[in-house]
Order: sequence, then structure tokens, then C-alpha cells
Amino acid sequence: MIQLIHVSKQYDQRPALSDVTLEIGKGEFVLLMGPSGAGKSTLLRMLIGAERPDEGQIFVHQKNVTTLKPSDVPYLRRKVGTVFQDFRLLPKKSVFDNVALPLLVQGVSSADIRRKVTEALRAVGVEHKRDQLPAGLSTGEQQRVCIARAIVNGPVVLLADEPTGNLDPALTAEIIELFKLINARGTTVVVATHDPLVMGQVNRRVLTLSQGRLLPEQRVMG
Amino acid sequence: MVAILTTAFTLACVGIFLLLYVNLRAAAGWLQDDIKIMVYLDERLASDSIAEVEQHLRGDRAVASLLFISKEQALGEFKAQFPSESHLLEGLGQNPLPASFVVALSPSFRSPDAINRWAERVRQIAGVSKVDYNQDWIDALATVIRSIELVAIGIGVILSAAAVTIIANTIRLTLFARRDEIAILRLIGATTSFIRIPYLLEGAVLGALGSTLSLVMLKFMYELFRQQMRTTGRFAGLDNLMAFFPPSVCLALVAVGIGLGFAGSFVSIRRFGEAKA
Repeated sequence: MIQLIHVSKQYDQRPALSDVTLEIGKGEFVLLMGPSGAGKSTLLRMLIGAERPDEGQIFVHQKNVTTLKPSDVPYLRRKVGTVFQDFRLLPKKSVFDNVALPLLVQGVSSADIRRKVTEALRAVGVEHKRDQLPAGLSTGEQQRVCIARAIVNGPVVLLADEPTGNLDPALTAEIIELFKLINARGTTVVVATHDPLVMGQVNRRVLTLSQGRLLPEQRVMG
Repeated sequence: MVAILTTAFTLACVGIFLLLYVNLRAAAGWLQDDIKIMVYLDERLASDSIAEVEQHLRGDRAVASLLFISKEQALGEFKAQFPSESHLLEGLGQNPLPASFVVALSPSFRSPDAINRWAERVRQIAGVSKVDYNQDWIDALATVIRSIELVAIGIGVILSAAAVTIIANTIRLTLFARRDEIAILRLIGATTSFIRIPYLLEGAVLGALGSTLSLVMLKFMYELFRQQMRTTGRFAGLDNLMAFFPPSVCLALVAVGIGLGFAGSFVSIRRFGEAKA
């Protein structure tokens, strides 16, 4: 599903990723660990074509992201859901409209939008908040809405960049459970985090980045 | 709103100049209508031959109208125009004035070059002794018209560029205010055209509203100006010669406004898109 072959990237002569090679299979749940500045976000941004590597090749869902034309990038992103630490919800749009956005840009009919958005909101447990603005929600609820937006069009991969960075331990556990549920339905999930709490809750493969280099793999039990 | 008003004022400046240009051009056109070419005939041309020359001229597609002036009519006109000088001709015994045709050319043959070519051609016709017209006046008129056109194009281009810049800046501010929204749209898979089209439309609407408002302002100023001319009485009659843009030109101006607005947002979006790529 995801393959990186000898990928390197520098910013102003400072290496962000150095010779990273890895493979993530279909339906896997992978934690991407490492301290701030280790290169986790850079790696995730490369997977959605927001950054290009200086060297190496990246494949996502059989597409070579490295050679993807700019006009094809949106179509890659429709297959890859993204969740952010700061949620990135549109403040003036309701929860329903925020979640409907990925379907709207694909030209999905309004009847299908209604059905799919309702399903996604139900899956993350915020269906009752559908008409509220993001500002009226708790941080946990905002992150759930962000996850609903990421899964509403049935992506093959879900990428989450520090999704629990703004959440307390109880909410972190809830969000991780949600990712597990999404993964159980067959979606490949990659969660980038430096939060040891997350690692304690996941019995999955862990990839660790340190100063842009991939350390030997480990598997945690939780 | 500020952008619409600024665009309207800029386009109104274009409009004022265009209105001036249209009216000056019309005035130049009336003057061109007055250009008459005299085709003088040989002294002793028989009436059959005169009829032949007339037939030749009437068959020429450059000729819009034709008036024959016989020797007698020419003499009569001379006497009427210069009564105190008529004794000069009497001393000659016979009428020295030749018969002639007064020719007005069709509008497409009124350029100095076309008139020259036509006159040269007519001089070759048997029975024609001389072709006369006021070449200096025609050249001067053509120069004036060309200058008006050049200045109109120059000012039009400068003010249009100003309108594009104003609209481009307005759209740039809108894009800046919505940069987070645009970034989110990109992340969730919106295509470039999905993101661009609303802003292009916004620019086009700004241009349309700006140009419509500028036309309203122009019409108001135009009527005020005419009213002023009528009441002062100093330029009586001239106000009737002035004309506002016909509906087709008004529509064309709105279309130009839409085009400028579209171009303005296109410039902004391209710059913004490149910066965010």
C-alpha cells in the first residue's frame, strides 16, 4: 500500500529525512514515532504529494507519488484521508458541511452526501452535533469531526499527524480506539505521534524516526 | 464594495475618454462626409462625351454621389459667390469656366491614399482635364483622427491595466483571508479548477458591477453636461450633436469589465497558486 525507497529530503542543508526505506501493507496499523523534528510530518506530507523528496521513490496505492503530475495530486488525496493535530476545520461551516467537503469537491450528489456524512458522523459518535459550528465543540469532538471528514469518502489509507497532541489521556484513548475501528474495516492507518500514551494503547507495528533516519523496527504490546 | 467603486471610477475614466473619442470621431466623420472632389472636363467636350464620363463615374463603386455642373451653372455660381469680381470674366468674351462633376466618395474610399489613387485613375479618363480636391485638409484630418485613435488606445490600455491591478489586489486580499480554507480544500483533494472558479467568478462579477456602475455614472455626467450646455445657451445646437454610447457599446463595455475582472483574478490566483505549490 505504501512504499518508500531510499527517500531523502533536506531543508536548507538540514536533513529532514535520510535514506528512508519502508513498506506498509494493506490493512496495517502503523505507529510512526519520534520526537519533534524527527521527520514524521515531512514523511506524511510526502505521502500526499505536498512535498517532493530530493532522492528516492514513493508509492502509495500503486501510484508513484514522486513522478505524479500536479494535476493528479488531488486524485491521490481523495484516496488518502488526513487527520491533523489542529483539526483544520472551517470555522464558519457547520460540522455537517465540514465533513461533506471531500464529497463536495468530488461532485457527489447531495443525496449521497447526506447519507455518507451521516454515516461518518455516526461512526465517530458526533451525529448529534451535525448542525453546530466547530467553535461550539470540545477538542475531542473537533478531532472526531476531523476524523469523520477524513473517512467520509472511504479512503484506502488514513494518515494522522499528531492526532492526540491536543487531547487529554482519556480522549487520546477514545481517538485511538476510533482509529482501531477504522483499521478493522480494512483501511490502512498510519499515526505519527511522539506521545508515549498512544504507543501504550496500540499493539501494532512501530516505526521510529530519529533525526530523519529510520531506526530498527519494534512491536509493542498494549 | 470598495473594489466595485474603485473599479467603477477607473472604468468611468476609460468611459469618459471613450465618449470623447466617439464624439470626436463622429465629428471627424461629418467633416469627412463634406470632402468633395471636383472632376473638371475638357473645354470643348461634346455632350455625348460628357454623358460617357458621367456613365463611367456612376459605374465606379467608389463614387457615392455625383453632381454635374455645366459651364453656365459654374458661371452663375461664380457670379453669385463673387458679385464684385464678375466683371473680370465679362472682359474675356466667352465663359472660361469648365464644366465639372462634384463627386462624393463612399466612406471606405475616404482615406488620403484611397482618394489619391482614385483621383489618379480618374485623371486617365478621356475628357477629364483635371481632378481637384483639398489634399492638405484631407491629410490634416487623417492625422487628427489617427492621433485621437492613438491617444485613445494609450489611455485605454493604461486605465485598463489600472482596473486589472485593482481587481487583482482585491482578489489577492480575498485569497489571503481564505488561505486556510484553500489549504484545507487542497488537502482533501479539491482540484485547482474547483478552487479557482469561485474566485474567477468573483473577479468577473466585480468587473461587471464596476463597469455597470461606471456607465450609470457616465450617463449621469453626460446628461448633466448636456443640460448645462442647453441652459447656458453658449453652445446651442451642439448638445444635439453629442451622443452617448449606443446599447451595443454599453454591452461591450460591460463585457470588457467582465474580461478585466476575470483577468485580474486570474493574475492573483496564478501568483497565489505558485506561492502555495
